[in-house]
Amino acid sequence: MTSTLAITPFRRAGAGARRTTVGIPPTVVLSFLVVLVMVLWSLLPGMFTSFSPVEGATAGKLEAPSSAHWFGTDYLGRDLYSRVVFGTASSVSSALVAVLIGLVVGSAIGLASGFGGGWVDAVLGRFVDVLLAIPGFLLAVVIVSSLGFQTINAAIATGVSAVAVFARLMRAEVLRIRGAAFVEASYLEGGTLLHALLKHILPNAYRPVLVLAVLQFGTSILVIASLAFLGYGDPPPASDWGLLVASGKTYPTAPWLVYAPALVIVITVLAVNRISRWLRKVK
Amino acid sequence: MKNQYQRFVLTRAGQAVVVVLLAYVLTFLVISVLPGDSITNSLRDPQRGLSEEEIQRIVAFYGLDKPVVVQLVLSLGRFLSGDLGFSLQSNLPVAQLIGDALPSTLALASSALALAVIFAVAIAYGAHYLPGKWASLLRSVPSLFLSVPNFVIGLVLIELFAFRLHAFTTIDTNSAAATVFAAVTLAIPVSAPLAEVFIASLDHESRQEYAVVARSRGLSEARLFVQHLAKPSALPAVAMVALIVGELLGGAVITETIFGRDGIGTLVQKAVTGEDQPVLQAVVSLSAIVFVAVNLVADLASPLVDPRIELREVVDA
Repeated sequence: MTSTLAITPFRRAGAGARRTTVGIPPTVVLSFLVVLVMVLWSLLPGMFTSFSPVEGATAGKLEAPSSAHWFGTDYLGRDLYSRVVFGTASSVSSALVAVLIGLVVGSAIGLASGFGGGWVDAVLGRFVDVLLAIPGFLLAVVIVSSLGFQTINAAIATGVSAVAVFARLMRAEVLRIRGAAFVEASYLEGGTLLHALLKHILPNAYRPVLVLAVLQFGTSILVIASLAFLGYGDPPPASDWGLLVASGKTYPTAPWLVYAPALVIVITVLAVNRISRWLRKVK
Repeated sequence: MKNQYQRFVLTRAGQAVVVVLLAYVLTFLVISVLPGDSITNSLRDPQRGLSEEEIQRIVAFYGLDKPVVVQLVLSLGRFLSGDLGFSLQSNLPVAQLIGDALPSTLALASSALALAVIFAVAIAYGAHYLPGKWASLLRSVPSLFLSVPNFVIGLVLIELFAFRLHAFTTIDTNSAAATVFAAVTLAIPVSAPLAEVFIASLDHESRQEYAVVARSRGLSEARLFVQHLAKPSALPAVAMVALIVGELLGGAVITETIFGRDGIGTLVQKAVTGEDQPVLQAVVSLSAIVFVAVNLVADLASPLVDPRIELREVVDA
């Protein structure tokens, strides 16, 4: 939602003047480590916990965090850390799906707009205006309510609400690069439109688009967690992070049920945003 | 110049009307064409407790037995004449439901907007003028604000200030204190992009020649900020106002749910769970109108406020 910031001309103007940094800052290394852990939690959740995410011992319910149960246990005695780990795949990969939808559809619209010009640009431009006119989260809520309450539908809804920002950025990039002397020269040498697209436009546009995609990945994790929090994702016993926070808030005496999954969301999104900012700065 | 401005106004206003109409159509299509339970099916849900007669009346009013195109024309026609239909849950006119919910959301959103601007200016001022360590700390605040989900901020504030410090109660949800904390929840994510823009433009403006000249005349940094830097640094933020209005409306769904406030956000949330399509259609279309209108005003005002903006570029863009 807020990622449109990255494509306002104002921010971009100064970006080229920044000095490139040598080496990777420690916070960025840490951020990549966090992302690596999330990838591993998604792919091999069983490697990181010996507890089942759905079966618990009611005798040990609502226990505070301890060396046995790092994040404590919930009202059914289920290990919360295990539920968080097993919830990673759907929380994080659905954000990935959302970004892919926004990236592919948005870039296609932006490319067509920038290359087509004239009425194609006018029609697609109005379509993008319409998508921007409906508040992103509201649009996602309406789409997911229409498709049905499932995490994959929440991902689709989040992706659709991200189409507009990608389309705008891609169009601006095409217009910027298309007018450059080296692209005009390639036409003079008999290069085709396709050649210009593959050899000049995409290679030059990919970095700002990548920066936006990473930023949008963080935003999508938040949006999908918010939808899950409202109960618009997979129902329990699924353990999407947003859903864990929502079900934890009914037990004020066990605050870890809210704080542990909330902290995992915050750390993940912080790491992703840090990587995005680093990508924006380095050459 | 005057002629050009008139052309600019007409072009922009025309585009705005087109966008609002298309937003209505798009929302309608999303709500009625996408797979999932059709309205007619959900009306027969025994939980609604509708009699066959009531169902027939609703089907006739919304033209549910006719093709989608006809339904769309009927719906759009009513919308243009100012009729938003009636709720499938409560049978009340949608306009009345929105009218009842609006004051609470307006109070929340306007206090959140004010707080967001205050937060953003404070962060940007500190990031620009405080000594090294504090400045770099403040520069990372927007990114932190962007990483914390709205619902987590709300829950933490309730836990700290309602349950521990008893600064407000979650029972009297419309009290001034509860409104302030709800507004803080909504303001924090909104203040982040604002602060980023303020910081960037403050950095940029303070390097300009006019600022250097003013300093060489012996102007203190504080007076330089107030007299010269504040206005041009705020201009890029004006263009973001529409974006922020959208954020506030979206964020209201979560914030109102957490704080148990009645408002547009909870109206949306109830409409989603109750499959109340007319309410969803109305709220989404009205937010699109608000967004487009705010955007239009910001667009039309910007060449008047900032003479550096060339109309020709804006018209052709």
